Amino acid sequence: MSAPGSSADTAFRVAERLRGKVEAPWEVFGERLRRYEVHLNGGSVEMARGPIELEGFGLRVLRPVPSGLGVGFVATTGLGDEEVDRVRKAAEEFAPFGHSPAKAVVLPGSGGPGPASVESVDRALWERPEETLAEYVHALLEATGGRPEVVPSFGSVRVTLGEATLANSSGLERAYTQTLTDVEVAVKAFGGPEGAPPGEYWVNRRSRQLDPRGLREEAAEWAQRAQDARRAKAPPTGPQRILFPTDVMTDVMPSILGFRFSGAAELRHMTPKADSKVAADSVHLWDDGQFPFGLGTAPVDDEGTPSGRTRLVKSGEMGAVMLDLIHASATGRPDSTGNGRRDSIDFAPWFHFTRAPAPVTTTIVLEPGKGGTDEEMIEAAGDGIWLGQLGYAFPDDISAAFGGEIRIGYRIRHGKLAEPIRGGTLGGVLIAAPGDPSILGSVSNLGSRSVLSGHLSAPTMQVENVTVAGDT
Amino acid sequence: MTSLREAEEELAHALRTIEPHTRYAEVMAESAEGVRLRHDKESTDPVPAPRMRGAVFRAWSGSSWVETATTGLDSRSLNRAADGLVRAIAKAPGTLPPPGEPSTGDAEAATPVRESMFERSLVEHLEFAKTLFGWATSVPGIGNAIVNLGYARDERCFRSTAGARRFQTITRTSASIVPLAIENGRVEYDFLSHGGTGGREVLATLTEAKIREVALEAKALLATKAKAPTGSMTVLLDPGTAGTFAHESFGHGTEADQLVRDRSYLKPLLGQRLGPECLTLVDDGSMPGKWGSMFFDDEGHRSQRTVLVDHGVFREVLHDRETAAVMHRTPTGNARRADFLSRPFVRMTNTFVEPGEFTFDELVEEAKDGVILQSCTSGIEDPLGGNMQIKVKKGRRIEHGKVTEILPSMALSGKVLEVLASVRGASRSADFDMSPGFCGKGHTDLLPVSSGGPYLLARAVVGPA
Repeated sequence: MSAPGSSADTAFRVAERLRGKVEAPWEVFGERLRRYEVHLNGGSVEMARGPIELEGFGLRVLRPVPSGLGVGFVATTGLGDEEVDRVRKAAEEFAPFGHSPAKAVVLPGSGGPGPASVESVDRALWERPEETLAEYVHALLEATGGRPEVVPSFGSVRVTLGEATLANSSGLERAYTQTLTDVEVAVKAFGGPEGAPPGEYWVNRRSRQLDPRGLREEAAEWAQRAQDARRAKAPPTGPQRILFPTDVMTDVMPSILGFRFSGAAELRHMTPKADSKVAADSVHLWDDGQFPFGLGTAPVDDEGTPSGRTRLVKSGEMGAVMLDLIHASATGRPDSTGNGRRDSIDFAPWFHFTRAPAPVTTTIVLEPGKGGTDEEMIEAAGDGIWLGQLGYAFPDDISAAFGGEIRIGYRIRHGKLAEPIRGGTLGGVLIAAPGDPSILGSVSNLGSRSVLSGHLSAPTMQVENVTVAGDT
Repeated sequence: MTSLREAEEELAHALRTIEPHTRYAEVMAESAEGVRLRHDKESTDPVPAPRMRGAVFRAWSGSSWVETATTGLDSRSLNRAADGLVRAIAKAPGTLPPPGEPSTGDAEAATPVRESMFERSLVEHLEFAKTLFGWATSVPGIGNAIVNLGYARDERCFRSTAGARRFQTITRTSASIVPLAIENGRVEYDFLSHGGTGGREVLATLTEAKIREVALEAKALLATKAKAPTGSMTVLLDPGTAGTFAHESFGHGTEADQLVRDRSYLKPLLGQRLGPECLTLVDDGSMPGKWGSMFFDDEGHRSQRTVLVDHGVFREVLHDRETAAVMHRTPTGNARRADFLSRPFVRMTNTFVEPGEFTFDELVEEAKDGVILQSCTSGIEDPLGGNMQIKVKKGRRIEHGKVTEILPSMALSGKVLEVLASVRGASRSADFDMSPGFCGKGHTDLLPVSSGGPYLLARAVVGPA
C-alpha cells in the first residue's frame, strides 16, 4: 500500500528563495506537523490537546575549508522571506567555523537512485486523526478499566502526522509522509487482604501505528505485572542466566550500537575492528531503514540517500558501520549507507528539523534463532530470570555499559516462570574489547519470533552470567 | 519574524476571541534562541540553537483543560489556534468552574547577565572551547575530549482572561567537558558539567586544575581492574549524587499531581518524620543564578523556595493551581511547560539537600567500610513504588575509614524511605554544589532543572551498571 501523498512544500519554498544565492552546496529539510494528545487521569480525560501545529526548516551549508569541510546549520520556525535570508546568512557565517573531517560531499541529485518504497504511515490515523485517537483512548480505558483492584493511574496518547520535505543545491526534491504515536500508561494495582502497598506497571511505547487490537490482552498482562510488583521480592545477588525480551533490549541496543557501530565512532577509534569477534556466533545484526513501520523507516534518509540495509554483525563478527554523507567521506568510503538522520534514539522529540544530520541507526534488527517460543525458551533455560522491565537501562554509548533497577521480573525455576522479583540492579557491557565479557558475547539462545519495539526488531535473547545485585 | 513584544497585541486579541466561550483562558507565547557548540579532536560543530517561536492557548471547557498551539505569532496563525480552541471547548462541555485560583497582575523580569555570551563573537567561543579541550588533552593518555558549550535566551509572555500578564527572559549558559581514555577497544571517561542562569560568568569556575583532575580520573577508570561491589552497603553520595537522590528518588513523589492521582508513595506520609534531624530537602525556583531558576511559572505564579523535608519531617509538596486547590494549599510556582509545544505539569526547579555539620573526612571515618558514589550521570523516578535508581560513572572504595581504590560505574537502588531513614550525616556548606540537567515527566517534556547538595552518608543497594 502506498503512503498518502504530501501537500507540504516547506523545503521547496525555502529552496526557491535560496537558489542562486548560496555558492556552497546546501540542503533544506522542512517539516509540517500536526499533533493531537489526550492526557489521562485515572479513567478519565484530564486534557485534550490539538491541533498543535508546527512548521519549520533546517538549512545546512557545506563549504570547503583548508582543514576539511565547514558545516553551517541553522533551524527556525520562521518561513517568511526575511527569516529565510537571515538563516542563509547565519549558516554561511557559521560554516567556516564548523569543521568536519570530510574533504568534500556530493549531495544526492535528482538523477540518482529513487526513494525506497516503505511502510511508515498508519492510514486510518492519517485520514481520521482525531477520531482514531479517540477510538484508541476509548479502547485503552476499556481495556485497563473494569478490572478489580487495578486502575490506569497516569498516561497519555500522543499522535503526530508529519510531512517531510527535502531539497538541495543538486536539484533533489523529495516529500513523504509519516505517522508517529506515543503511548504512555501507568497501571496501578491495589487492594487485597494482605494490605501490601500498591504496585505499578509503566508502559512507554513509541511506534508508527495506533492499533487498538490486542489491547485487552496486553492490558491483562500489564495488570498482572502491576499486581505481581506488590508481592515481588528482591532478586538473588550474583551472576545469573537472564532472558531479555525485546521490550527491555530496545532501551539498550539501538542506543549503544547506534553509536558504536557508526562512522562517528569509527573516526574516534571506538568501533570494533573489522571482522573482529564482537558477539556470540548466533548473533547476526542489521540496520534496516526499510523495516515496515520502523521508527527510522523512510523512503530516503534526511540527506536524500535512499534507505537501505547495512549488515553490522555476521556470525558474531563485526561487519560494516552506519554512515551519513560526511562520515562516508571522512572514512574514505564512496557512499552513505542511508543513515544520515536528524532524530536521536534517547528522549527523541517528535520533530527533527532542528537537528543537522548525523549517522543514526534506523531499526536495529537481530535475526531470530531457533529457540522457539518464549515458553520454549523458558523451559530450555531451566533456571534463571525473566526480565520484565528495567526502571531505566541507562545505556552509555561511549563505554557500551548499561544497567538499571529491576522493576519487574520473574525467577525461572525448573523450566517455568516462578515468583516475581523487583528491586536490585542488573547490568553489563553490551559489546566489549576482545577477551572481556560482554552481553552480546554471552548470548546462549535466541527465540524464533521477532518483535518490533521502538528502534529494535529482535527475538527474546538468553544471556549467561549477567551481574545482578540483589537486596542482600 | 514577529518578536514576542510585537506579538503581544495579537495575543491579547486572540485571547479576547476565546473569552466568550470559557470561564478562563490563557496564552503562553515563547521565543527561544541561542548557540550550541560541540568540539572534539575530529570535528567542530557550532550550531545556532533553533529559533523557535510560537504560542499555546489553554482554556477550561467546563469539564477539562483543552489546548491548541501554533508556531506562527502572526494574527492569522494565532486566530486559527484560537478558533481551534473554541472548537475544542465545545467538544468537552461542562459546568464545573475552573480549578484553583488564577494568577493576577502585571510583572516583568529578566535574568541579570554580567557578561553576555550573545555579545561575544563565535571566534571567542571557539577559542574558549579549544582551551577547555587543550586542558583535558594535556593529560598524557587522554587523546580526545568532547567539549560542549551552549547559551540560550528564552522569552515567555503569559496572559490570561483573569487579567494576568507576565513577561520573563531567562538566559542560560552551560559547558561540559568529557575527557576520553581509549586503549585497545576499551573506552572510559569522566565528565565535568557547569551551567546556570546568566552569561559567561557562570563558567568562571571551570579551571584548568579541575579539568585536568577529571581527565586523570578518566585515565584511572580505564586502568582499573577493580569491580563494582554488589549488595547492600554504606554509601557516601557526592553532591551531584545526593542532588539526584533529592530530585529523582524523592522529589518526583512530591509533585502534587502525583498525589492527586493517588500515584505517590509519599501521600500518606505528609507531616510524618522520614529521616533524621540533619536531613532537609528543598525545591527553590527563585535561587539566583541556578540552571532551573525562573521568575514565574507557566501559570503566572512566582517561583519560590519550598521546604519539602524540614529537619527530617515531610512538610510540603509542589503545586500548580489545580493541585493546590484540591489539597487546600497555595500554588508554589511549579507549573512548568517544557516549551510552547508541551503541556504544563507540576515540575521541580532547583532541588537539593541542605548542608549539614560534618566534614568530608568525618563522614568517611564514620562510614568505616563502603563506597563513595561520584559523577552521577542519571536517575529515574518511581513515584508510586518508592524505589530508587541512580547511576554513577565512578566511585571510591572506603576501607577501615579510609578512601582507597577507584571503582567503575555503579547503579544505586533500594527503597527511598529506607535510604532516607538510613541517613547518618551531611557534610558542610563548603562541599555544597549543584549540577545542571534536564528532567522529563515520564519519558517526555524535558526541561532544565538543577540538583545538588553536600556529601550525604546513608545505606543503599549498589551494583554494577
